[in-house]
Amino acid sequence: MQSIRVEQLLKDDEFDLGLALVTGEAGLGRDIDFDKIQKPGLAFTGYTDFVRARRVQVLGNAEISYLWQVSPEERTRALAWLATRQVACVIVTKGLQIPDELRDICLSSGTPLFRTHLLSSNLISKLQALLEEKLAPQTVLHGVLVDVFGIGVLILGKSGIGKSECALDLIMNHHRLVADDVVDIKRKGPDVVFGGGNEIIKHHMEIRGLGILNIKDLFGVASVRDRKRIELVVELVEWSDDEEYDRIGIDERTYTILDVDIPLLTVPVRPGRNITTIIEVAARNQLLKLQGHHSALEFQERLTRAMANSTPPRRVVGDDVE
Amino acid sequence: MAELTRDLVIQNELGLHARAAALLVGLVARHKPDFWLRKEDMEINGKSIMGVLMLAAAKGTTLTARVVGPEEQGLKDMLDQVEELVNNKFGEGR
Repeated sequence: MQSIRVEQLLKDDEFDLGLALVTGEAGLGRDIDFDKIQKPGLAFTGYTDFVRARRVQVLGNAEISYLWQVSPEERTRALAWLATRQVACVIVTKGLQIPDELRDICLSSGTPLFRTHLLSSNLISKLQALLEEKLAPQTVLHGVLVDVFGIGVLILGKSGIGKSECALDLIMNHHRLVADDVVDIKRKGPDVVFGGGNEIIKHHMEIRGLGILNIKDLFGVASVRDRKRIELVVELVEWSDDEEYDRIGIDERTYTILDVDIPLLTVPVRPGRNITTIIEVAARNQLLKLQGHHSALEFQERLTRAMANSTPPRRVVGDDVE
Repeated sequence: MAELTRDLVIQNELGLHARAAALLVGLVARHKPDFWLRKEDMEINGKSIMGVLMLAAAKGTTLTARVVGPEEQGLKDMLDQVEELVNNKFGEGR
């Protein structure tokens, strides 16, 4: 499981959370490992079973006005769980006035306490976006990611099989390079994976015989993009006469990246086979499938219909008709 | 399948720059076994020059090389040659 430190929330300048540290600096090194925030709600009544460690607690109007309308002793009791539950941090929204009891327990337990001027709803949606982004499961794959007709095609295969050359060919055909060689992959939500290039090498490619090329400079700004959802995996393999390749396309095979199954095509490479064209057509075919048309299945149905409609040929024995 | 790992420390002044990376990739590409290089929590295919460059390994960086192949002696020879290249400062003399 990925995790980030609480101080990264404070340092972030991308999501504009507007956080200011009130107290509890000692806990800035605490980890956040859960990408959903929590509003304590019932925890104030003593029912703290669902308060999770390493999770961000957001106190909005409801929580703070509850705290203000009970007695100071009651307040201390309502907040007691903060001393032991090791929550990641506490954020008070809308610039609400913070009760001393909350400040005290955060200081003594080393729980970072932040305030923000944002409304709870705004803070939560921004924070959620930040946490999903930073805590997303991620991996790195060796391959090339190209946007072909809007389909993110991840080309895999052994070193030297011609992945980069194939990608270059696709770029020449006005498709867009996302990442060459090293693809950083992140999962978003349960079934979407995005791929992107590494900061240092992004928009560059190595082509044997030419060396390192800057694709953006050579082909212009429209020839590259920073990230793309991966919707099709094409695995290039050396042609082998012993191997059976898919001839029909009815069986759907998948390649699993970060627990997400993505349609997989295995394409054998051999002189005279234009891999670029095959990948372009594969992307078109994938577009069709996404719109509900499946060439191979439709063809099979057509064949089945044709067979059902035709009367079986009569058996002819010699000159006699049976 | 056998697997061997070895730590390498980059010693030349310029670090694992483009020319050095090309030498390294050229060397390992002549061997059959798979070759991986790890810097901290990032592991890349060491047969790809862009991957090696992405590590941006400056002088003093420790990289972990991992080789996977059918026979152990071949793996050891391969690692020996890689280590020699790295310790030789990629022939740069400084």
